[in-house]
Amino acid sequence: MITARELARGLLVLLLVLILQLTVVLEVRIGGAHPNLIVGLAIAAGLVGGTERGALMGFASGLAIDLFLPTPLGLSALVGIAVAAAAGKLVEAGVDRTNPLFLPGVAVLGSAIGVIMFAVLGAVLGQPDTLTIRLGAVVGVVAIANGILSYALVWLCKWAFPEESGGSAWRGTLVAGDRP
Amino acid sequence: MAGPRRTRRRLVLIAVLVLVSVTLITFDARSGTSHITSGLKSIAHDVFSPLISGVNDMLRPIGDFFAGAVHYGSLQSENQHLQAVIGHLRLEVNQTSALREKVRELTELANVPYLGTLKTVTAPMVNYNLSNFDADITIGKGSSSGIANGEPVVGAGGLVGVVVATSSTTATVQLITDGRSSIGVSFGPKNQTYGVAVGEGPGAGLSVLYVSALAHLHVGEMMYTNGLAGGTLPPDIPVGRVRSMHANVATGFMDVTLSPAADLSQLAYVDVVEAEPPL
Repeated sequence: MITARELARGLLVLLLVLILQLTVVLEVRIGGAHPNLIVGLAIAAGLVGGTERGALMGFASGLAIDLFLPTPLGLSALVGIAVAAAAGKLVEAGVDRTNPLFLPGVAVLGSAIGVIMFAVLGAVLGQPDTLTIRLGAVVGVVAIANGILSYALVWLCKWAFPEESGGSAWRGTLVAGDRP
Repeated sequence: MAGPRRTRRRLVLIAVLVLVSVTLITFDARSGTSHITSGLKSIAHDVFSPLISGVNDMLRPIGDFFAGAVHYGSLQSENQHLQAVIGHLRLEVNQTSALREKVRELTELANVPYLGTLKTVTAPMVNYNLSNFDADITIGKGSSSGIANGEPVVGAGGLVGVVVATSSTTATVQLITDGRSSIGVSFGPKNQTYGVAVGEGPGAGLSVLYVSALAHLHVGEMMYTNGLAGGTLPPDIPVGRVRSMHANVATGFMDVTLSPAADLSQLAYVDVVEAEPPL
């Protein structure tokens, strides 16, 4: 179960990342595309907090950004749940996390999958311009930005879910669901 | 290892979250219930807009300082170019002011809406392209300033877009380049040849549909809103200039692309036009 402290800290982290996404991040544009920290936060929450906490953070952060987007409410939330739960499952499966490239690698891959999933679901729901040639640029920008910022996002999530991170080092620690 | 109970609990939690998301998407997609979700979005905009404006006001000067330092050379040449443009525009204004007054008087006599006579609300741009897949901007005035859905937005040389959502303090404007945007346009000697300009997505231009392959058209020609019945835009607002065109033998129509008349990358302020739909 999530404690009140985790809930409060999780909401603070979500608020901080949301404000950053709606202000500073929108100013960073490469090839017309801007980073998407919300997907990165969901992946980081899944890696640090496990499937449950990750899915909750992915849902909440996706829903929060959906309130500001013209796309259907719930679309980013659905993507957030999927990528966070997948990241959580990956960690719980016991993969080797000692490699320093593991975290950026998961962030890059997860972000790319998240953006493509968003584009495909958007197209299914009748959103134009999601499955275009521009998708490649969006995937690239979002994935690389989240790869670069992955350690910062994980650090925020470790602060939000301190008991689960097992202390100072993220690598080689247990996640929430595996704790005895 | 996680026990079966814990695994089941996780699956239930994820299933519930997915179900809630799908329900919200369904609510948003259905016309009967979309007002609930748009109401939620409106509240979120009202709550967050002061916070976002505050953070932007705080951080923008820092960002501008670094951007200015990095792009000093190009800014200097751009400044010189703009000075030259201002000089030309001043000359044009002086030359055409008398003609413009005559046109205004004539259009008033003919009872044709003319943009100069319509009431406008000037609003600052707060954000643009919040999503990577939509072409839209958020402006810093909303329903409390009299802005309503469907109203045209102009600025930076032409039509910018149409208001698609409002909160009391902000409004979302769908740009003319958005894939969902569709505008009736006219062109030609008496503006009596019609077409429909549709957006091609963020950062792209527009394409014009239903232009006869026999129509007299040239690259660089300006297209305007046609103001036909059924549309919500007043006539004669510049929409875009023809970028390319070629006759499509298979369809009998011309394939036309437009560059927006308004510089959509330079929208510090825009005017929302309070227009009544033409009769």
